Amino acid sequence: MSRAPQVSTLPQSAALRSFAAQWHARDVDALQPVREEAMQRFLKLGLPTMRDETWRYTDLRSLAARSFVDAPRSIRDSTPPDAALALLGNSERAATLHMVNGHPTLPVAGEAIDGVEIRPLREVARLDPGALLRFLQPLSDADQQRWGLLNTALFVDGLYLKITGRLAAPLVILHVASGDGADNIAYPRVIIEAAPGSSATIIEHHVAHGEHTPLVDSHTQLALRQGAQLEHYRVYATGASATHVDSLTIHQDRDSRCKQFTIVLGGGLVRTALEAHLDQPGASLDSNSLLVGHAERHVDCVNIVTHGAAETRSNQTARAIAGDSSRVIINSKVIVNAGAVHAHSQQSCRGLLLSPTAEIDTRPQLEIHADEVKCAHGATTGRLDPDMLFYMLSRGLDRETAQSLLVYAFLADVLTGMSVVPARAAIENALIAQLPDSQTLRKFR
Amino acid sequence: MLKITDLRARVAGRDILKGVNLEVNAGEVHAIMGPNGSGKSTLAQVLAGREDYEITGGSVTFEGRDLLALRAEERARAGLFLGFQYPVEIPGVNNVYLLKAALNAKRKAAGESEVDAYEFLALIKQKMKFMHMSESFLTRGVNEGFSGGEKKRNEVLQMLVLEPKLAILDETDSGLDIDALKVVSNGVNSLRDPQRAVVLVTHYQRLLDYIEPDRVHVLSGGRILKSGDKSLAKELERRGYDWVAGAEVA
Repeated sequence: MSRAPQVSTLPQSAALRSFAAQWHARDVDALQPVREEAMQRFLKLGLPTMRDETWRYTDLRSLAARSFVDAPRSIRDSTPPDAALALLGNSERAATLHMVNGHPTLPVAGEAIDGVEIRPLREVARLDPGALLRFLQPLSDADQQRWGLLNTALFVDGLYLKITGRLAAPLVILHVASGDGADNIAYPRVIIEAAPGSSATIIEHHVAHGEHTPLVDSHTQLALRQGAQLEHYRVYATGASATHVDSLTIHQDRDSRCKQFTIVLGGGLVRTALEAHLDQPGASLDSNSLLVGHAERHVDCVNIVTHGAAETRSNQTARAIAGDSSRVIINSKVIVNAGAVHAHSQQSCRGLLLSPTAEIDTRPQLEIHADEVKCAHGATTGRLDPDMLFYMLSRGLDRETAQSLLVYAFLADVLTGMSVVPARAAIENALIAQLPDSQTLRKFR
Repeated sequence: MLKITDLRARVAGRDILKGVNLEVNAGEVHAIMGPNGSGKSTLAQVLAGREDYEITGGSVTFEGRDLLALRAEERARAGLFLGFQYPVEIPGVNNVYLLKAALNAKRKAAGESEVDAYEFLALIKQKMKFMHMSESFLTRGVNEGFSGGEKKRNEVLQMLVLEPKLAILDETDSGLDIDALKVVSNGVNSLRDPQRAVVLVTHYQRLLDYIEPDRVHVLSGGRILKSGDKSLAKELERRGYDWVAGAEVA
């Protein structure tokens, strides 16, 4: 079988040529036709540029000149990632599944947990490719899915989780990014299917290990069947040199409820895309984004929620804080398709600037093709309220503590929505550590 | 304790205080009355250290220290307290956390250890009972969703916990019904002490039925036009502020 992607012209940039080279080196598997189509489309469309609608604020040109190679499948020095990174203690989680550069560290089968079936994607591809192909198609040319296309073409392994019961404790997926050179790339892929009536909490935690952090092109899919309930977290806690493009796709059936948290606490350039489809009546989504800009960090958050059926509900809450020379972008869009009557959507995007050199851009958008819908949206960006600050100073609090408390209060809307109390505490701690005067603040939390 | 000499201040390009002179001694309660726009609240905010109010002249000493050289938080720790006319709502910051942080900031400045959490809770519960406040205030955000009267009680509660040397209460009586006014007045009276002083900024005389002042001053047009004992308040009530302003012209 020929592996050459049928494209009319040779890829122009070094990055595209390197992706094509990775493609050539891949083993053929049962997903081949879909992967090939994904690769062709990616090479044809190329890396997203600032002319693409959802990439207006993020310049990826520096990536184009690099030649990427696959990141290693395991950590060479075999040192386990720092335990301090753990969001939950042993007693607080059902299990932690480790992924190194997208490769599950096996044996996954050893993780026998009631109510969830856990399998490596490579195994599913071999034994039941039909089941997997349902998730890989249809492919999308939309620019917010560009890196998802590349992931579909090139992921080697990943995790498939089928939730069948009602999980009491959260399940943690610890994604470790660890390179053995400067131009590594990883393609973590996770597919989570929540069977009818099931419920679970899944925390995807992205961390880095070692000197080199690969470019991470991760893609997660959530499918909630009728009446399923899922609380999903994705937490980015990599270092300042890390570039991460992540996309999350959610499909929701009748009366399913999804509560999603996107939390950016680390990374140098972090792009988080969320594309949710409320496909059947009664589906409900709460999307919460907590984006912390620190140092030179660039965070680009794109949330697109499509109401595809009547009586669907979505609530998007995004809070961004930007300090130093960081930049945070919140693109939040709701689309109500024709026929999605009585859809109810709410979008609240708020930004807080902590430094004169920081920047926050908020773009809430609405596209309504149905009657009898209720859609509200609001966006504000500003600095700390001087009246609030003066009130606290007049009570004797020092300036740093007062500012930190106000920043913390600003994020409270998102934090208080988290059901997993120990994870919330860990996230709060990580967040506070990036605020001025964190020691004092900890005492008053 | 407090000595204000020829104090001048400007807010948003407008001269508001045009040479205020006032001296308050320990153990005294002073009332500053005056019509709307006379500069009463500006004076209170300037004394508390609001930075966007520009001081254009004069001096203020507090226990012999140059008050204007201190930042707002330093003034608070030195024992100055401002009860706000419009207490700010700070959703997400717990009412009790703020109070505890405030008390600890003051203790730290005085070289004392932090307050014991259990003792603090006992103290605050006792003071809340005195202020007729429900314990639900313990868990709420600072002034979040409080009614006007609840906010004012909360201000006095903070004052009782922080035990300032000098309390400046800016229209703490406005918007209170008669029962709340009594509670708030009891709170202020409980703090009266030969070592402390209170400055009441008020538009109406009725507060002074409950908190008896030693001195009454009329502030108008950014200056204190008349000072007297408590009978001055009664006279103002009868004759109106025009009487004082007119007296100045004459």
